[in-house]
Amino acid sequence: MVRILTLIMVGLLLVTSCSEEQDFDQLDDLTITPDYETSIFYVKAQETLINRVEGLDFFTQDFNFDAFEEPFFAERVLAGVLTYELENTTSKPIEIRLEFLDEAENVLDTEVFSMDAAPTAILQRDVAYGATGKSLDIIKATSEIRLTAINLGDNTSESTLQDPAIVLRSSAQFTLDIR
Amino acid sequence: MRLCQCFFIAGVLLTLSLKAQNKQILYDFNEIPQSLSVNPGVESDFKWYAGVPMLSGISGYGGSNAISINDIFANDGIDINIKFRERALDVLTPKDELSTTIQMEYLSGGFRSENPNIFYSFGGYLEFDNIGYWPQDYAYLLFDGNADQLGRRYDLGDLKVRGSLVNVFHFGINKRIDRNLTLGARGKLYSAIADYSSSTNNGHLSNVEGQNNLIATNLNADLQLRTSGLRSLRDANNDDALGNEIISRALFGGDLGLGVDLGFTYHLSERTTVTGSLLDVGFIYHSGDSKSYSLKGNTSVEGIEIDVLENFASLDRDFWQELVDEIEEVVPFETDTKGYVSFRPTKLYASIRNDFGEPVGNGGSQNCDCTAGSSGGGELRTKYRNSFGGQLYMINRPRGPQMALTGFYTRRIGNALAFKGTYTVDKFSKTNIGLGMNLQAGPVNFYVMADNLLSYNNIAATNYASFQLGFNIISWGRK
Repeated sequence: MVRILTLIMVGLLLVTSCSEEQDFDQLDDLTITPDYETSIFYVKAQETLINRVEGLDFFTQDFNFDAFEEPFFAERVLAGVLTYELENTTSKPIEIRLEFLDEAENVLDTEVFSMDAAPTAILQRDVAYGATGKSLDIIKATSEIRLTAINLGDNTSESTLQDPAIVLRSSAQFTLDIR
Repeated sequence: MRLCQCFFIAGVLLTLSLKAQNKQILYDFNEIPQSLSVNPGVESDFKWYAGVPMLSGISGYGGSNAISINDIFANDGIDINIKFRERALDVLTPKDELSTTIQMEYLSGGFRSENPNIFYSFGGYLEFDNIGYWPQDYAYLLFDGNADQLGRRYDLGDLKVRGSLVNVFHFGINKRIDRNLTLGARGKLYSAIADYSSSTNNGHLSNVEGQNNLIATNLNADLQLRTSGLRSLRDANNDDALGNEIISRALFGGDLGLGVDLGFTYHLSERTTVTGSLLDVGFIYHSGDSKSYSLKGNTSVEGIEIDVLENFASLDRDFWQELVDEIEEVVPFETDTKGYVSFRPTKLYASIRNDFGEPVGNGGSQNCDCTAGSSGGGELRTKYRNSFGGQLYMINRPRGPQMALTGFYTRRIGNALAFKGTYTVDKFSKTNIGLGMNLQAGPVNFYVMADNLLSYNNIAATNYASFQLGFNIISWGRK
């Protein structure tokens, strides 16, 4: 009988266990702030087109751009960097002006790029937004982008390079506050 | 600081997180009526038995082969972000499993036919089963994002998850064919309350150097999530009628299915026995409240691309919306409400057992209504004080079968008490020692079993744990 009781006690002990202290409130401290990267826009204007347009502004256009306004993005973005790459293979100096517009078409921010005539190096520029750069409100409120290209040269010369054009490439890298 | 907690609370905590459905202690522990549930062909000697409603069989499992609750939530002063990265994000792989099974038997009984060689059993239980694998690349995308990862392919096939909440009714027949062979079969009727499955995903996401722009984002997706019952439960919850909806769907108001369990026991010699069973060979057809979501297609995006010369006459177009529309056209996100079939996680058990030592009681054939091992009819084989042997367990899982090997030793002390100790090796643990106890006090039967006992000094640090307990009333009949 004693042996049976002993075994029952062992059984009861076995079903009684211990655990180190757990703190499930730590979950509140878990942060998820990933960085996402993708291309934004690519614009190419050929020299033949530039030569056909009289006047300085050979190209001005407003483009709808709702990506930054999407609630998932606008409510979570913490910081970001827009990377621009400008390549000019035309025979004329060119200025590119990028304006960020809100829904009322107010200009929130402007980026100006000046390029010498070819041959010239590719211009690369990173523009930061957030704590170490421009205001994030610019990004969050941007609804349209106005692109203006200004020919600072003539309308007759032609570059000897293949397929001469002014090309604007861009990408964005943003940090989001998922949690 | 250490907190002593009872086993039940620890078990519940574990099942909240993380499993395997192996019932290696209960298997072939034929003093316990519920051993019929893992082998309908087990040798039984009861005249009849009745499980105490809601208490005849409760079991829970929590398991992950690579991470424990303690790894993340221990109150150790380390930043949870560091722990999560070092112990989960940078360690776990898509082969690592996170799963839970909870089973609650609410009705259980059995009775012997006028033919003493035939025993009928019946019952019902609720089963919640969830299995998932660590979605490694999704986790990296969520926690780190895809920045500065040119050329890296994120595998969208890493997402594999399946789960269900099912009410199961069953009726089984156990027949002693002759002195050496006992066969059993059990039919099952499934009434599914909820089901979800996303286990056939394929594809990848990557950023590479663009042809025109700086980056090209490539998406190749073949993703699907199938659900059933979730909308009904959500709507009922909004109407404060969740309980009624669960009961309704559990009692044939949900999706229905059929299944079968098969099993046998065969004596190779007087003291050597082999057994085997195949459980949950079945399916459920989901049709009443099914909804499936899919994302399928290929695309490569370099942002808004404007060639001024080509588009000179139509520069007023909404290029952004065109880009969005184009992506949605080639990689459509679609939903449908077509029915679908899900298959139950089929399990296989097999064992070989050798008995030794003195016979239990009067040669295993008692003449009272108070002890295990007596006969409800027919000629019974002698039970011995000791048994040892090996068991094999396999279960069908989304990434292929999982297997466990168990060595066991059973000790019977008189007719009232029996213990079974097990050592199991599987993907969850190499140090899994389990112990089961069956106590027969007159007609009252109580059993309790738990495994991975070595981890119980810190239950939160274990990768795997399970428990099972139950009460029954058993009669062997009077001669």
